[in-house]
Amino acid sequence: MVTNLFVKDRVAIVGAGMTTFMRRALETPRELAWEAAKMALDQAGLTLKDIDCVVIGSAPDTFDGVHMKGEYLADGSGAFNKPMTRVYVGGGTGVFIPVSAWWHVASGLCRTVLAVGEEKMSPAHPHPQYVFRYIWDPILHRPLEPNLIWIFAMEMRRYMAKCGAKKEDIALVSVKNKRNALDNPAAQLAANITVDDVLKSELLVWPVNELDISPVTDGAAALVITNENVARQVTDSPVWIEGLGFTLENQHWENRELAYPRYLNYAARMAYKMAGIERPWKEIDVAEPYDPFDYKELHHIEGLMLARPCEAWKLLKEGYFDRDGELPTSPSGGLLGVGNPIAAAGVMKVAELFWQLRYEAGKRQVKKPVHRAVANAWGDLMQAGTVIVLGN
Amino acid sequence: MSWDKDWRTSEIIFWPEREEVDKYVYTPGISGQELAKALMDGRVLGIKCKDGQVYVPPKTYCPDFSQGELVEIRGPWRLLHYTVVYEDLYGNRLQNPIVIGIIKPDDASNGLIHIVNAELERLRPGMELKPVFKPKDQRKGIITDIDHFEPV
Amino acid sequence: MSVQKFPGTKLSAKEMYSLPGLVESSPQAKYEFSAGPTISRFLKGLKEGKILGRRCPRCGRIYVPPRDYCEFCHVPLADWVEVPDTGRVETAVVSYISVKRERLEKPEVVGVIRLDVPGYPEDGYEFAGLFHRICMDPEEAKKDKTIGMKVKARWRPPEQRTGSILDIECFEPVG
Repeated sequence: MVTNLFVKDRVAIVGAGMTTFMRRALETPRELAWEAAKMALDQAGLTLKDIDCVVIGSAPDTFDGVHMKGEYLADGSGAFNKPMTRVYVGGGTGVFIPVSAWWHVASGLCRTVLAVGEEKMSPAHPHPQYVFRYIWDPILHRPLEPNLIWIFAMEMRRYMAKCGAKKEDIALVSVKNKRNALDNPAAQLAANITVDDVLKSELLVWPVNELDISPVTDGAAALVITNENVARQVTDSPVWIEGLGFTLENQHWENRELAYPRYLNYAARMAYKMAGIERPWKEIDVAEPYDPFDYKELHHIEGLMLARPCEAWKLLKEGYFDRDGELPTSPSGGLLGVGNPIAAAGVMKVAELFWQLRYEAGKRQVKKPVHRAVANAWGDLMQAGTVIVLGN
Repeated sequence: MSWDKDWRTSEIIFWPEREEVDKYVYTPGISGQELAKALMDGRVLGIKCKDGQVYVPPKTYCPDFSQGELVEIRGPWRLLHYTVVYEDLYGNRLQNPIVIGIIKPDDASNGLIHIVNAELERLRPGMELKPVFKPKDQRKGIITDIDHFEPV
Repeated sequence: MSVQKFPGTKLSAKEMYSLPGLVESSPQAKYEFSAGPTISRFLKGLKEGKILGRRCPRCGRIYVPPRDYCEFCHVPLADWVEVPDTGRVETAVVSYISVKRERLEKPEVVGVIRLDVPGYPEDGYEFAGLFHRICMDPEEAKKDKTIGMKVKARWRPPEQRTGSILDIECFEPVG
């Protein structure tokens, strides 16, 4: 992949905010966006007057039950009379929001951007899982009456078969992330559980049990992203966006290997190249791999080249990815622990790295010194990869 | 479009589908919850922002992102604009056309969209209207608790 | 200086459903999807008991399900070829829930079948394949040997076929 980067401005994150992640929120989607956006502005010490452009991200409109959600969310995201962009790459949207904000600023078009992700999944009935029916091919897939979880189960099975991982090895991710979430006041599903609890939870689609999956969540998260000049004025500790990448893999997932996330690997290589990282497994200090399912975190650790293919689950058992380990992953608690309001979940991951890199994560702060961090998200029907590399 | 030379439009297969989401449930939100209680009492609320502007129905936040102050809207209400609807959602002719108007109270900066019950010939922008609430036991805290607006 | 309190108001299911001012609405949207010329032809092939693929004139890949264009060469695909209705299980799972997330009475096995289509390397990253049901015992399906197992399509009787992916009832183990 050849990328030609002429970057006008260095880009930094100077504020982050998010709502509590919860199964059912009183707030309307707009109000959730407003709460997160306001918190991000307050943290940055800025007001809406300082914002030039707004980037909004949200997954399918079918969850909130509001059509054209970009326009709907605009006022809660502070986009009154401002240039506003809505981006969408399914579950990958969360990380694509700061990626999009980056090019708004790096191009010199906008000085300061408010980047907001929101999802409210509780309006959809009988169950939000049913809404996912509409992402399957209407002619070749829907007649088989697929549940969304099938596709992830198929991927997990393939990973298990190819890499020799067992269900109990993979369940450790859920145990780790839910434990990490205990220190996160915004978390929805923080818990001290054991591998046994995961294996004994309701069996949905073998090999996936209920505790292998992130929950249904309402929530929003926001970032304030600005250029170097403004960043130096408002804070002593800006967090720089050093690299970013996004790629699409073949949408025909029934025609490709599912054990290795190539979509992510290409995006990661693009981001590392931009950040000047040659050995990510040594140079990255903390990571937030996208973990809507527990196997997915292992999958993404490998795709991000933080471990060799098929080796992430072995390192996990040694405590390598714990908060006090060699390379902590999902110190926030991840989607499994904090919750998964689709577009907001990716922004939450970037927000967590922002706090980690500023040593503001409190009890969640990882033990080792941190200089560089990476987050990713993944979406559409298995094929969109988005990556962001941050540094302090 | 196809690259096949022997292909006919009549051979295309179509798949009918229904959107099968049973329903959506929308929560009223922070200020919306207060508005719901007020509507059940037969009152309308707005928010007052720092710059003195009053918005109805009340949002939780003002355009400058600060949280506004809830105030009661007392009127009088005036018709700002209106349109006459002759067909329903499915394109069927309505027996009685419906008038949809934007009705602005004098003590707010904007107006509510609602149904106006008035003879078509009498309609003119600026005319004074008043909200007619449903009987108390039929109110649910939603905007249709006001059944319609009618001339004073 | 970490954040201790985040905004947001949690509701229990009971609290939510008893909120004053709660609005419920049911969309009644209807859609009709066109299968397009290529998939229409593929479905017609299924009705005749054939799995059809399409070959790229430039790189020679055979696509199943067929496409209009080659994803790699970006040229229109030309020849139609009938491919074997046999293959190997690429991945298989056992579903205990329905599309609405209700418990199923009888679990069903579904997965991806790597079809025996020539031109692809044995264990290549890309392959020609179908997503379908697999008729086998759920407990058997969980065993390691299921992956890579040989399977063959079980067709519905010709008079029951409608030109749909369901004209293949499922794939079943052979031998």
